Amino acid sequence: MMRSGQARLVASQNPDGGWGAHEGRVSSTETTALASLALGRLDTPASRASAALGLRWLAARQHDDGGWPVSANVDHGSWATALAVLALDGLGAERVRAVRGARWLMRRTPRTLGVVVSLLHRFAPGTLAVRLNPDLKGWAWTADAASFVEPTCYALLALKRMRRRVSGAAVTERIDEAERMVYDRMCRGGGWNYGNSSVLEAELWPYADVTALALLALADHREREANQRSLRALRGMLHDVDSGLSVAWATLCFAAYGEDLTPWRPRLVERYRRTAFLGDMKAVALALLALSGGAEVFQA
Amino acid sequence: MSLGRRAFLGGALAAGAASVGHGCTDAPRWERSAVRQPSRSRVAILPASAYDSGLVEIVMRGLRLFELPLAGKRVVLKPNFVEHDPAGVVNTHPALVAAAIEAFRHAGARQVVVAEGPGHYRDTEHLLTATGLHAVLREHRTRYVDLNNDDVRALRVGSHYTGLGHFYLPQTLLDADLLVSMPKLKTHHWAGVTLSLKNMFGCIPGAIYGWPKNVLHWAGIHESIVDINSTLPVPRFSIVDGIVGMEGNGPIQGDARRCGALVFGDDPVAVDATAARLMTIDPRQIKYLAQTGRFLGNVAEERIDQAGEPIDRLRQDFRVLPMFDALKSFA
Repeated sequence: MMRSGQARLVASQNPDGGWGAHEGRVSSTETTALASLALGRLDTPASRASAALGLRWLAARQHDDGGWPVSANVDHGSWATALAVLALDGLGAERVRAVRGARWLMRRTPRTLGVVVSLLHRFAPGTLAVRLNPDLKGWAWTADAASFVEPTCYALLALKRMRRRVSGAAVTERIDEAERMVYDRMCRGGGWNYGNSSVLEAELWPYADVTALALLALADHREREANQRSLRALRGMLHDVDSGLSVAWATLCFAAYGEDLTPWRPRLVERYRRTAFLGDMKAVALALLALSGGAEVFQA
Repeated sequence: MSLGRRAFLGGALAAGAASVGHGCTDAPRWERSAVRQPSRSRVAILPASAYDSGLVEIVMRGLRLFELPLAGKRVVLKPNFVEHDPAGVVNTHPALVAAAIEAFRHAGARQVVVAEGPGHYRDTEHLLTATGLHAVLREHRTRYVDLNNDDVRALRVGSHYTGLGHFYLPQTLLDADLLVSMPKLKTHHWAGVTLSLKNMFGCIPGAIYGWPKNVLHWAGIHESIVDINSTLPVPRFSIVDGIVGMEGNGPIQGDARRCGALVFGDDPVAVDATAARLMTIDPRQIKYLAQTGRFLGNVAEERIDQAGEPIDRLRQDFRVLPMFDALKSFA
């Protein structure tokens, strides 16, 4: 898969240097960041040249305020900024841009649920339909929206890497609060979904890809019971989930936790052989990262 | 604290949102160009007892009733695939999607594409393979488009219930000659029901609006349903999967409820009103239906010509959460 996945990524690069979510689509920041990271770590001239073009695409799309849009045809800064920061920093390129991106993330605050909901959470939590602490802030997918697990985890991964270069107590405080938000959203048996663990007293189930991502973002607390419970939950989910995206994130997560990767790498290769991940380019990029020891790019 | 009392806060916190800010009031809030309400609408209810036999013929019969000009047309089927629950009835059944692919091709469509933008879930490969939809697509050599990650174009909204100035909409939909909404017949714990119109939430790209599409919850679920549907500039058709629906705490954690029907129509408002009546739910009490019934289509029974089976022959008393008891008041 290393060779064929790499060739697929290189061949599917858009003429502008970016990658779309699927081949032939408009270049997106998320896919371009992940593809650049994956190819930039491989030691072939073709992959490095392709990654350099990807990084150039990213550099050209950064807004003056430091943020990145989701794609070339959307004009506002987005959650994908965290992934652009990770790519630039992970490949040691455009460090000034990475810092500006991290600062943009720091300025970005989610919508809150308001004083009434906050008071009800404290004094009458049983009245709330959704089990969550509304006072804890992470990151939202987009402006004018509330905190959710995935954008928060992307921002955590980026800011933890950039912490030394974006100095100040505010970074530590923001990371701390966002981590508490992620733990607060954990499903009862461990693991995470998009961000609600219970609605109207019904327990919701976790997703493998989000659980692996969250565990990766919280890897510096690996000894905590919540992390260990979620690791077990992730292993359980992977009995039924075999997709490229989920197994790739899980392999990166297990690598960060020092687990044996023997079962997972062949599984990724076999899945790619059978489905080519249905053309999901970010899954191909994540799989290449997982197969090439790329978990380090997500670690502080 | 009863679940009924939670209704207020349920709406407020669905995904972190308060939905009444812009409200659905009496003053017209739509552009003249968004008005699509016909003087009369036609809806067909066809009996369908199972997913494993005869579906293609039933769907073809449904299409023939509407004499759709399909020759040479590009058709996008938009089923409702939320997330995979092996024990549940969350999603449009893949067998119905397969039948629709065959029926539209048989009716002369030049291209049939299946497209969806799941609201919670980013792992499309898992969703498609685990639910069996991928096998259907492969067997029928049909392309799937992930609307969450499609190319987009910004369109000004056709009505002004949310206060959102424009929607980014997937190019695949904008290029279609016919958009076919294929929802599951379900109750919904925030909106009351989820049918053809609510199914259009899946047309809003997650890459821009997130998972879930939280901006829409803040703008109001009912209000967003109206604005999305008034903005989509593509001719519409609906096929509601009511062979087995979901009652109670839908759209994900409700219980299976057999209804044995498919609902067809080219006015999605009339289709949803009829499908609600099939569930013994008063469509006039659903806020988004009350509003879309003013300019997008017909809710009033006297303006809907009913083909196929009479509602009363297939009507089922779908259970709703206590906060939606008022929806059952006409029964």
